[in-house]
Amino acid sequence: MTNSRAQAMWGQVAAHAAAHGRRVSVADVCAVAVSSAQLGGAWLAAARGSDPDFVMCVTDLVGEQLAELQLTTGEGPCRDVLASAAPVLAADLGDAESVRRWPGFTPAARRLGAGAVFAFPLTVGAIRAGVLGLYRGSPGPLPDKHLGDLLILADAATVMLIGSAHGDGETEDGSWLDGQARDLALHRAEIDQATGMLTVQLGVSAGEAYVRLRAYAYSQDRRLADVAGDIVARRLRLPRDRDPGGGP
Amino acid sequence: MDTDLLSDTFVDLADTMVADFDIIDFLHLLTDRTVRLLGASAAGVVLADPRGGMRVAAASSEEARLVELFQLQYDQGPCLDCYRTGRPVTATDLTGPDQRWPRFAQAAVQAGFRAVEALPMRLRDQVIGALNLFGAEPGPFETADLRIAQALADVATIGLLHERNVRRSETVAEQLQAALNSRVVIEQAKGKLAERLGIDMDRAFTMLRDYARNSNQHLTDVARDFVTGGTADFPPPAPRRPHR
Repeated sequence: MTNSRAQAMWGQVAAHAAAHGRRVSVADVCAVAVSSAQLGGAWLAAARGSDPDFVMCVTDLVGEQLAELQLTTGEGPCRDVLASAAPVLAADLGDAESVRRWPGFTPAARRLGAGAVFAFPLTVGAIRAGVLGLYRGSPGPLPDKHLGDLLILADAATVMLIGSAHGDGETEDGSWLDGQARDLALHRAEIDQATGMLTVQLGVSAGEAYVRLRAYAYSQDRRLADVAGDIVARRLRLPRDRDPGGGP
Repeated sequence: MDTDLLSDTFVDLADTMVADFDIIDFLHLLTDRTVRLLGASAAGVVLADPRGGMRVAAASSEEARLVELFQLQYDQGPCLDCYRTGRPVTATDLTGPDQRWPRFAQAAVQAGFRAVEALPMRLRDQVIGALNLFGAEPGPFETADLRIAQALADVATIGLLHERNVRRSETVAEQLQAALNSRVVIEQAKGKLAERLGIDMDRAFTMLRDYARNSNQHLTDVARDFVTGGTADFPPPAPRRPHR
């Protein structure tokens, strides 16, 4: 159930990239998010510090303006999501709650033509990669099916962002995502524990540890869950064999 | 039934909810007390994930966590049926013939469980997950015990969703995702601490939780600070009373 849905979404992302004759990128994730959830547009911002302030892609002019608006007003759904690491689903920017939460952002966003804004954190536990923002011209809730699809797409974007931040993009062609989907759904705890262990073994940040873990599984053609299980059981240690220039 | 512990449990859960609290810590309190109060061998909480399927949010033991995972992996078992129907589901003897969930029954028996009871976590018409009780011996749990377990599950549901106005269905989704992400942060911190001190994951969890409680911080915040390197002098070197 979990698998087939994630694979279908990731398949759409890969197909979108192929149709444009390019490698899979966060731009493809944004485009698929907009079309699959029937939204007006999307933007994606990477977090270099505590704020998602580096806009990496936008699908349209309104999306770009909404992303900039949150930077200039210093408030908005995208700034809130990284703090809570939960989505912020502002289904009606015309309601009192939205005005109360974001008094500067909300009226300006409505003037730009946004009726609803949905922001998703791009995080893996303590690893904060950025934010995926989306808007729709008309207000209204996000149906459960679309919420699930967008969470899956946010997961895909997170993995891409973390990979590129640590200069390890060679496996980012979409194909590995299929195989790791099931593992991420069902063996979360071992993968997260192994990531934490690798920060100590390799002396790297959590983001880089996560990249190393996935790259190791890919290079050995092994399942991510199996590698993580071996690390947690202390049957496997990853060597400090790389130039540590990729991260702090 | 230990009525003092029962009173203490409701007081503790209520205290937690009145104050600002950490959801994963809260769910662990729920599973630990469910076991101690009701004579269950283990307990676990699974929550629905809008991505599809369910995720384990808390378990009183590693065996319980694995059995919960097994249900999710093979897409069969009492907690999934409970979630789908919104009603309690009972299996009083997992060793007999004609099992309703043969693969689940086999995994549960291997983990040392003979009986299971799954109770829905629901708010009005929305089911958000299930509380599962595992018994080492065949046979049903006492009716009175199950009523208490359901009350605990109800309190936990309200606790999980209470922080903001739950009339908005958006808020429920936001709260559930926050809880699931907290789980990830805590697992990362357990791994880092276990590796640094050469201890097992359960011990690492206990140390993180004790540290959070003693320093009046959220477990998730302590875990995040530790993973990102903000808490350089954690953990404190003094050994603590081992749990379990």
